[in-house]
This record gives sequence, C-alpha cells and structure tokens, in this order.
Amino acid sequence: MEIAVRECGSVMVLDLSGRLDLASGSALKEEVKKLFGQNRTYVHMNMAEVEFINSSGLGSLVSIMKEVRLLKGRFTLSNLASYVQEIFEITQLSHIFEVFPTEDEALASFQTVSAS
Amino acid sequence: MHDVVERIGGLLAKLQSPDFYQREEAVKELGSYTQDEAVAGLVLALEDQDLGIRELAADHLAKIGGHTTSQLLIRFLANEDIGTRNLASEILVRIGSAAVPALLRNIDTDDEDVRKFIVDVLGLIGDERAAEAISNKLWDENANVVCSAAEALGEIGSADSIKPLLAVCEKDNDARLQAIEALGKIGDSSVLTHLIDYLEVDDPMVRFAVFEAIGYIGQVESITSLVPYLDSPDNSIAEAALGAIITISNKNRGRADYDLPLDKFTDFLFDGIKSRDEEITDFTLDRLTHWYGSDVVEGLLDVIEHVDDERLKQIQESLGEVGHTAAVLVLKKLASASKTVKQKLLDILRLMIDDQIADQLIPYVGDEDPEVRQRVAHLLGISGWSGAVPKLIQMTEDPNGHVRTAAYAALGWLSTEDHVDNILKGLDDKYPDVREAAVGALVIIGGTRVVAKFTADLHHDDVVRQRLAVTALGWLGETSVIKPLTEAINHPDAGVRKSAIVSLSRMGTQIDTEPIGLALTDENSAVRKAAISALVTLKGSEAVNDIRPCLDDQDLWVRYHCITCIGEMGVADHAAYLLPYLEDDSDIIRIAAAKTMAVLGDEQAVPALSDLMREKNKDLVEAASMAISKIKGDK
Repeated sequence: MEIAVRECGSVMVLDLSGRLDLASGSALKEEVKKLFGQNRTYVHMNMAEVEFINSSGLGSLVSIMKEVRLLKGRFTLSNLASYVQEIFEITQLSHIFEVFPTEDEALASFQTVSAS
Repeated sequence: MHDVVERIGGLLAKLQSPDFYQREEAVKELGSYTQDEAVAGLVLALEDQDLGIRELAADHLAKIGGHTTSQLLIRFLANEDIGTRNLASEILVRIGSAAVPALLRNIDTDDEDVRKFIVDVLGLIGDERAAEAISNKLWDENANVVCSAAEALGEIGSADSIKPLLAVCEKDNDARLQAIEALGKIGDSSVLTHLIDYLEVDDPMVRFAVFEAIGYIGQVESITSLVPYLDSPDNSIAEAALGAIITISNKNRGRADYDLPLDKFTDFLFDGIKSRDEEITDFTLDRLTHWYGSDVVEGLLDVIEHVDDERLKQIQESLGEVGHTAAVLVLKKLASASKTVKQKLLDILRLMIDDQIADQLIPYVGDEDPEVRQRVAHLLGISGWSGAVPKLIQMTEDPNGHVRTAAYAALGWLSTEDHVDNILKGLDDKYPDVREAAVGALVIIGGTRVVAKFTADLHHDDVVRQRLAVTALGWLGETSVIKPLTEAINHPDAGVRKSAIVSLSRMGTQIDTEPIGLALTDENSAVRKAAISALVTLKGSEAVNDIRPCLDDQDLWVRYHCITCIGEMGVADHAAYLLPYLEDDSDIIRIAAAKTMAVLGDEQAVPALSDLMREKNKDLVEAASMAISKIKGDK
C-alpha cells in the first residue's frame, strides 16, 4: 500500500492506495503515530484507491480511531469503494467512523467544528 | 324572470316560517340567486334565531359579494345586537376588495361605532385604496375610531401612512401605542430614529410597543440603540429589548453578531424554548457555539424534550463542543430522566463519550427500556473502553434482539481474540440481525480461531450457516482463509462455491487459479460466470485461453458474460475469437459480439456486421451500426 500525507489546514490528509492488510495496516498505524507525535490529531483518510481491505486492515483503522479518541482528536474517512463500504456496513464500523462520500465534505466538516 | 321573482318572494315568505328546515331550505335556495331581492333575503337571515341558519346565510353572502350585498351588510354594522354586527363585519372582510367602495362611501357616517367598524373592516381587507380615507380618520373626534385607524393603517402597510402616523405619535397620547405598532408593521427603517426617541417615554406599554416595532423593522444597526436597555433594572424592559434584538437577528439570519449579556437571560430564553417560541429557539440555539456555562448546559438539557430532531442535533453538537463539563451534567440528569429524555441524553453523550463517561453508563446496562440499553451498548462500544467488555458480553444475553445486536457490534470494536467464544454464540441467535452483528464483530477481531470456526461452519448442518461462513471468510481476507476458500470451490452448495470464487478473486495475491479454472465446467452457471470473472481479475488478458471454451457454454448468459469479459480485456487480437459469434443463432450473443467489436475494432468484422444491418431486430442493427462506425472511424 502507498500512503501519501499532505496538509490541509488543520487536517492531515492521508491518501491511501492499494491493499489495506496486516503489513500495510501496521505501516499506516506508524504513519499516523508520527502525526500524533507532532500534535496533529485531526486526521482524514481518502480511501478512493483502496482496492481491498481485510480483517487486519479494519483492525488497524479501529486502533487508530481509539487513539484519536484518547487524544480528543478527530478521524474521518471518505471515498470508500463499494466493497470497503460493504465491509463497513457488515461490521457496523460505519456507526463509529465518520464516513463522508467525498474528501471535500469531510474537510468541510472539520471547518465547521473549528469555526464553532 | 317573472317566475324567478315570484319564486324568491315565496322563499322570503318561507324565511318567516317557525320550522327550522323550511327556513334552512329557503336560505340554501336564495344562495343560488344573484338578484338583489335574494341578497336582501339572505341579509335578513343574518338575524335568524338559529346560529346554523345565520352562518349559512353568511356563507352565501360572502360568495355572492358585490355592491348590493356590501351596502346591505354595512347597515347591519349599526345593528343593536353585537353578534350580528360582528357577523356582518366578518362577511365584509370575506368579500374583500369588492366591498371597499361601499365601505368608503359610508366611512364618514355619523354613527361613531359604525365608523369604527368600517375602519376595522377596511384594515382587515388591507386594500391600499382605503389608506387615504383611513388616514383622515386619525383625526376623528372619537378616540376609538382614531385607534382603529392607526391599527388599520398598520395592516394595510402603505408607506404613505408613515407621515400621518408619526403625527399621531406626536399629538395623540391615546393612539400613540397603535400608531407605533402600525409603524412597526409598515416596516420602513426611516422611522427608526423617531421610534428610538419614544423608548424614553414613561408609559411602559408604549415602550414595549416601540421595542416590538423596532424588532419588526429588523435593521441590524438599530441593535446598538437596544443594547443599553438589556441592563435595565426593570426585567420586563430588558426582556422586551432582547425580544427586539432576537427578532432582528432572526430576520437577518443570525448576522446580528453583537456581544450580548445572554447569561442574564437564560431563564427567559429557555422558557421561550420550552413554550416553543420559534424565534427564541432559533436565536438561542444559533448562539450556543459561543455561549457555554453550566447554567446554559442545564438550560439546554431541560429543553431537549421540547425541540424537534434538527434542533436536538444542534444542541447535541454544541454540548459535544463543551465536552466533559456537559457530560457530567448529562449524566446527572440521566439519573432522574423519563424514558424519552433518557434516550435523547444518551444520544447527546455520543459526541463526548470516553472511558470515564462509559464507566458511568454501566448502571444503565440493566435499564428497563430496551432502547436505552441498546444505546448504552452502542456508547460503550464507541467509547473504546475495554473495561466495558464484560458488561457487553452480559448484554449479548439480553432478551431484546436489538440490544444483542448492539452488544455484538460493540464487542467487535472493543474485544480481542480472548472474547471470540462469547461472540461465536451470536452465530446461533434466532435473529439474522444479531447473527450478522456477531459475524461483523468476528471479522474485525479476526485471528486463527475465527478462521477455524468459519472453516468448520462450511460444513455446518444448515446451508444458511455454510453460506454465512464462506462470506465471512471472504471478509476476513487473511492469507489463512485462502486454503478453506479454495477447498470451498468444490463445496456441495453452489452458493458457497460461487461466493468462495468471488472472495478469492478479490484477495488477488497468492491465489492458485487452477481450482478456479476447473470451476469453468461447474454444473451451475452462476459458478461458471463467477469463475470467468475471477480468472479475468486474477490473470488479466492471459485468462483468455482459459475462458475461451465458455464461448460455447451450454448457457446463453455464460456465453454472453464470456464475450463481454473478453471485450473488457481490450486486446484487439482477441477479436478474432469473437468473429464467429456475429453469426450466432441467438440475437443476444450477436449483439454482445457486435458491441465487443466496437471496443476491439477489428476490420475483419465489418462484412459480418454489415450483414447484421439487414436484420429486423433494432437492437442488433444499432449495435452493428455502432461497431462499424467505430471500426471505420478508428481506421
């Protein structure tokens, strides 16, 4: 999996592409940990190019979500492919993650919170 | 004509009958005539002893309208019975603009009560033609007429009335209140400076009217003049000033962003929300984002049962911003809340949940309301607090299926492989939602025991469980599921075989394609189609030699699918394989082949495609035509 990190105002955006599994999930957690170390706790992941996700990949996202909650940050996802969306539904992860159809909508939601 | 007049005469006589039904019948029929005699009869019926007949006559008169009706009704404005006078006024208002000329002709009548009635009616009709005549009544010798005239001018709302109304404010103490209200309703900002001057008069009623009028006019700039009154020692004045600011703010969609001492008005504002005052509710909730404090939070929690879902969401988000302080107050209120409020409070906690709050929710695991228990299970899950796992395991035994579903989902987010056995029980639940939640939880947890369980379930007695198992193995997607999924390609159930192939193709890496290739000859056509798709996904264009035999499959739709897949590979050389199918017996196959030729663009296909142009089937001709255009265009 490839992970590209970019900054959008107060939000760190991670563009993921490829397969999110055990190995890439660990790499992703490491990448996010680095951001937390820099006090960047507003994180968004654009999943448009994620073609496959398995149990380990889901576990890594859950783990990141728990960390974000502890740090009182915020973690959003967008552009889930239909297969990834399907897994999110069956695991009911769609109820704990903030999932947006597009990255723009996700980033706008950060702005709303910041403004308030 | 003579007959009609005679008939109406008979009906008028019937109006004098002691029999209710006779009179009612007469009124009904009179309502169908437009002759003045009939109208006169209906007007007479306004004095009938029976209310039903009076109202029936009123309805007919309002519908007939016109000059005669209005003129006759105006006479009733002097009737000694107040009920009749009111009824006549009401009909005139219903007649509307058509009654205005008659009313204006009588506006200077000697009877001051009738003058007042006429002015009132004209105001309610709201026709600008009456404005000038009513303005003249601002100087009537009778104070009631003057007050009515001021009110009527406010209803009509003509800017031409501003000057006379301001003059009344100056000269007539009795009608000042009505004049100020009228100026507010007219809504012209040019009067603001005059109105602001009246904020200093002694009469509190006038001052209230001024605040209301300023609010009604809605100019943001006038807030500066209102703000000092927020500090008035007289609460009613301070609240009237705030009321005006609220109206202005709402009229300007919240753009009136002044720093206001709202803490002083919490009771006023929250009472307004409780009494469902829309203006106060909008204003208060819009300002929440920069107005915290425990009294505000408590106020908000007190009103959650009085607001709609959208506003509840607004409150929820605002309290989420407040965070832990709000959570403490929510938890405090939760202890004594009613069923509905409890559910709403739990929804509020969603945005602020953490370990500590989750811990405080444990007593509600046994709440009598299943909707509360369901919400608690969900909150415990999203809290991320692993300490909640034992309670959630307990909740998987809840008598309510929705609670069990929420508990299993939450366990998926919180637990580890140590809790797999507890979650596996959910696979045997009687409700499919609960079983799916358990599967979802197991997919998140994963691990060898979960894989082993689903692998074993591939041979469960119940075929539904077998299918659930193969799907779950696909969702798990770990390397360890490749073997059981590959074996499942030979499963006795076609649904399982197909699902195994689909899952393997999605996994993509390290997959042995040979067993999938064997499935191209499966007895079930859906499995064969899945195998074609899987091979194309896994091997790309190299799969063409594997799937080519399926071009002659016994099943039409397998053949169709195979042609489409070869087309999607986009390799021009593959067109040769499809040429014979342009002459297939089936139109469906020929259409698929023609469409694929449009993609692959092989010139050798043109003669066969040209033959297809002579076919009767329009879809076939269209597909062939497109393919030829594409091929020739490419060339």
